[in-house]
Amino acid sequence: MPIKSYLAHPQEDKKQALFEALSKIEQCEVIPAKNEDLLIVVTDTNSQEEEDKLKKLMENIDSLKLLSMVSGFNTPKND
Amino acid sequence: MNNTLTNRRSFIKKMAALSAMTAAASLFPGILFAEEQIKGIPDGDLEWKKGPCRFCGVGCGILVGVENGKAVAVKGDPNSSVNKGLLCVKGYHQIMCIQASDRLKYALVKKNGKYVETPLDEALDLVAEKMKDTIEKHGKDSVAMYTSGQSTIPEGYVASKFMKGAIGTNNLDCNARLCMASAVTGFLTTFGADEPMGCYEDIDHADYFITWGNNMAEMHPVLFSRMLEQKNRRGAKIIDFATRTTRSSMASNKSILFEPQTDLAVANAICYEIIKNGWVNKKFVEEHVNFNKGLTNIGYGLEDKFSFKDKATKINFEEYKAFLADYTPEKVAKYSRVSVKDIKYLAAIYGDPNKKVVSYWCMGMNQHTRGTWINNLVYNIHLLTGKISQPGNGPFSLTGQPSACGTAREVGTFTHKLPKGVVTNKKHRELAAKIWKVPVDRIPSKPTYHATEMFRAVDRGDIKFIWTQVTNPLVSLPKTSRYRPAMEKESCFVVVSDVFPTPTSDVADVILPASWHIEKSGMYGNSERRTQQWDKMIEGPGETKPDAWMTIEVAKRMGYGDLFPYSEENHAEEIYNEYIQFHKGAKHGMAPLEVLKEQSGAIWPYVNGKSTQWRFNAEYDPACTNGKDFHFYGKKDGKAVIWQRPYEPAPEVPSAEYPFWLNTGRVIEHWHTGSMTRRIPVLHKAMPNAYLELHPEDAKTLGISNGENVKVTSKRGSCIMPASINERGLPTKGQVFAPFFDENLMINDVTIDAFCPISKEPDYKKCAVKVEKV
Amino acid sequence: MKRLGIISLFVILFVAFIAVWNYSYQMGSEEAYVPLEPAQESIIIPTEYGVFQRSQHALDYENMPFDYEHQRSLETYYKNRAFPGAPPTIPHVVADERNMGDNSCLKCHENGGFVEKFNAYTPVTPHPQLTNCRQCHVPELTSGEFKPNSFVKKQVLGAGNNNALLGSPPVIPHQLQLRENCLACHAGPSAPVEIRVSHPERTNCRQCHVPSDTKVQEIKSFTRNKKE
Repeated sequence: MPIKSYLAHPQEDKKQALFEALSKIEQCEVIPAKNEDLLIVVTDTNSQEEEDKLKKLMENIDSLKLLSMVSGFNTPKND
Repeated sequence: MNNTLTNRRSFIKKMAALSAMTAAASLFPGILFAEEQIKGIPDGDLEWKKGPCRFCGVGCGILVGVENGKAVAVKGDPNSSVNKGLLCVKGYHQIMCIQASDRLKYALVKKNGKYVETPLDEALDLVAEKMKDTIEKHGKDSVAMYTSGQSTIPEGYVASKFMKGAIGTNNLDCNARLCMASAVTGFLTTFGADEPMGCYEDIDHADYFITWGNNMAEMHPVLFSRMLEQKNRRGAKIIDFATRTTRSSMASNKSILFEPQTDLAVANAICYEIIKNGWVNKKFVEEHVNFNKGLTNIGYGLEDKFSFKDKATKINFEEYKAFLADYTPEKVAKYSRVSVKDIKYLAAIYGDPNKKVVSYWCMGMNQHTRGTWINNLVYNIHLLTGKISQPGNGPFSLTGQPSACGTAREVGTFTHKLPKGVVTNKKHRELAAKIWKVPVDRIPSKPTYHATEMFRAVDRGDIKFIWTQVTNPLVSLPKTSRYRPAMEKESCFVVVSDVFPTPTSDVADVILPASWHIEKSGMYGNSERRTQQWDKMIEGPGETKPDAWMTIEVAKRMGYGDLFPYSEENHAEEIYNEYIQFHKGAKHGMAPLEVLKEQSGAIWPYVNGKSTQWRFNAEYDPACTNGKDFHFYGKKDGKAVIWQRPYEPAPEVPSAEYPFWLNTGRVIEHWHTGSMTRRIPVLHKAMPNAYLELHPEDAKTLGISNGENVKVTSKRGSCIMPASINERGLPTKGQVFAPFFDENLMINDVTIDAFCPISKEPDYKKCAVKVEKV
Repeated sequence: MKRLGIISLFVILFVAFIAVWNYSYQMGSEEAYVPLEPAQESIIIPTEYGVFQRSQHALDYENMPFDYEHQRSLETYYKNRAFPGAPPTIPHVVADERNMGDNSCLKCHENGGFVEKFNAYTPVTPHPQLTNCRQCHVPELTSGEFKPNSFVKKQVLGAGNNNALLGSPPVIPHQLQLRENCLACHAGPSAPVEIRVSHPERTNCRQCHVPSDTKVQEIKSFTRNKKE
């Protein structure tokens, strides 16, 4: 059950649009920076396949310039 | 189950977000995230409670995460100026020991050779009855209490009040005698006032850190990391002066090795060089320093009932200078194995008026048959150069136990001590009698047994009842080969209060189940005079009770109830408020409870709502009243003392039959006798057993390879343990080293019970042994 | 008399021969048995060699911006390793076949750096003291196989799942031999992003992170040798 965190860099002047687009995705939690063009995204998915799908989905958002992963955790299913 | 799963996941999510924020901050320095967003990240149901770490004398601030009444996580307290949010591996995992399967939960009473689970009330009845009986039959001095530098301030205080104020015997000593006594006598003889003048903030200002026989990377890792930070960021330098190459040596700018015991000579040689090169701070020495000499050839305390009293004689600077003529670098280099160049290098660092120097030491200098002397000698260096009591300049004696300062030294759980002053002083007895509300003649004026002598008295049959709390002497005493059989004797009734079974509880007649650290409220005092308070965080299992409360319960049963009018729920705070009356005033004022509850500790003297970071310096210390820059007010004339102390050899040196020096110590993973840390799986797995370090060439000569069992033998006993070659540490040729945490491989059966005649602290660092392959 | 003496001498010799021959036959027919002594169990304590190596670069590591476009991940890290812990193969052409590492490999792999040609950061070796690189690291000259092989590469676990308590420092899940120098792999632009440390400036890594036995040897929990 992977949990990953990313830094999302928006296209110029598209921070709000990116924030809204990401917030719509159920598995994402978004924390925007107050004074820089940067958002933090934490994803929580049930499987690697779901995670891969989610990543593709995120990468296809127009307002996104660059998505880079910072940390990844994988918790066992039956903790 | 499900609950913990969601909590763990939400916790990990927070961690993931936090690491992303850290990364973001490195991209955009000063980046901000909305407060509510950070709060919005789920934190599980964790409630974070503040306190000091359970382990060493550094006294890091910790936050314990409590969930549904259980401690589940630990992190460094970012508000604590000691550790600023960082801990070491022991600190992070400390709470895991609580769940050990062999936790002592109920009182155990030995009946017909078997331990029987007994209601605590009944066990305490038995202890009180036995104590009373023994006193009636054999007198007050036939009962003894042996406590600890891990006792909280209230626990130490009630033990002292109980023994000295209620019963009226000075048979109270503690395990801090084994680790801090030489530091205390060093401070008292040189400054007339115990405990360091500086504080940890010295680290942020010093240009040089010189560590004397001290492996801080493993024993005081959080302070060492602060030093490393200064080394990396500011170019401060670390000089490691030791008898063994360790992790600290690896991180130092320079490592200088010396032959055991010759630190005395090297310190004198440094002073010789300082005077010879005109590096003496003349103004400071003239205004603030006296010169004394003491007795020489003072013995080693190897025989029972050994006694010694030093006699100070005033000398002048010229006499002191003439004495140092025996300690030219050239002469000292011959027997210390430190090169002339290195001695001069050390002297030049101390002598350079533009360089700020802090000296650090711990057991290397304290566990020394001339422990008081070597403490004096290092102070000499700082006094000659005037590098003392200023930010970044000063000698700093580190401690090994969380409240060696707070409890053992400040409350005074030693035979000669009272919460303020000593039993031999009439005024101090009167003050104690007044606060304790007991007749003054009940407090005896003569000290009785120090730690080693106390257990010798048990062996001789002079002590017929002993109660130990928060300590494990049958692993930590030297020469346990004598004191284990002594404690097993029928002649002495043994009561042991502890959290886990230990070799000491194995010989007990009654075992009392104690609360662990966060299962009770209390206060600790760390090395930099910082008092830290915590509230009870979780309930203890079974019938466990705080040590202070068990002492009070026994006192009540013996008819002293009116002296201990405290409530069970709030006794720690009530006792603290009574205790701080002893230290009122600018020289030792303690912070009130409200302050301790609010902030992560406060440094005494706490005067006018402020901690005093540098004592004796008029700029920082309101107790300085002589109108000069410095005032050593511990001494009557306001002057510190430079002591003339010679080099004298160790009591036992390697010989043809026993050709190696044996040194003992600790490792980063385990704390002291390991009764807690070995029950923490992470730590046990990283360091499962003790070992004997040999120099590779010695190992080759003896035909010993790594991991092979060897037998190390002294005149007193032997121990079989695996050899360790080129692993954690590298002793010099002709020396071996073993850590003492392992109760299954008892190196203290081999060590010698010789001690410093002034401080009565044993020397665990030097004795002669032979090593054989088995 | 003399003759009798000689004859009896021969008789004695003959009897002795029979006896010795018999005994040795008996012994020879016994089953060969060499007593086996179990090797002494001893725990290897990792050496301190290299604990603080590369710590002189810690501040540079701390200030280095992340180059997200060229970062390695655990996936690429394990790509040229046959299993976790195996020495990686050399994914590029080797400059000189007859050199020891200190003259060739270490030129790049001692300190790392960006290489235009490969559009990647050079991994830093954690053991630059061992210069016979090719003892363990070999290039891949062909992608073909001599015979098909069904070796299955062990699934690699992600990072961040080996701490004992919530938020406590993770233990070291790998063997420390050859990997004593933490910063080489856990800091800098060539460190796989999942295991890149957020606090390289700390340098005294083993203050908080200690080895665990999971990948090296089984250590049972603490037991007392108490005489019952």
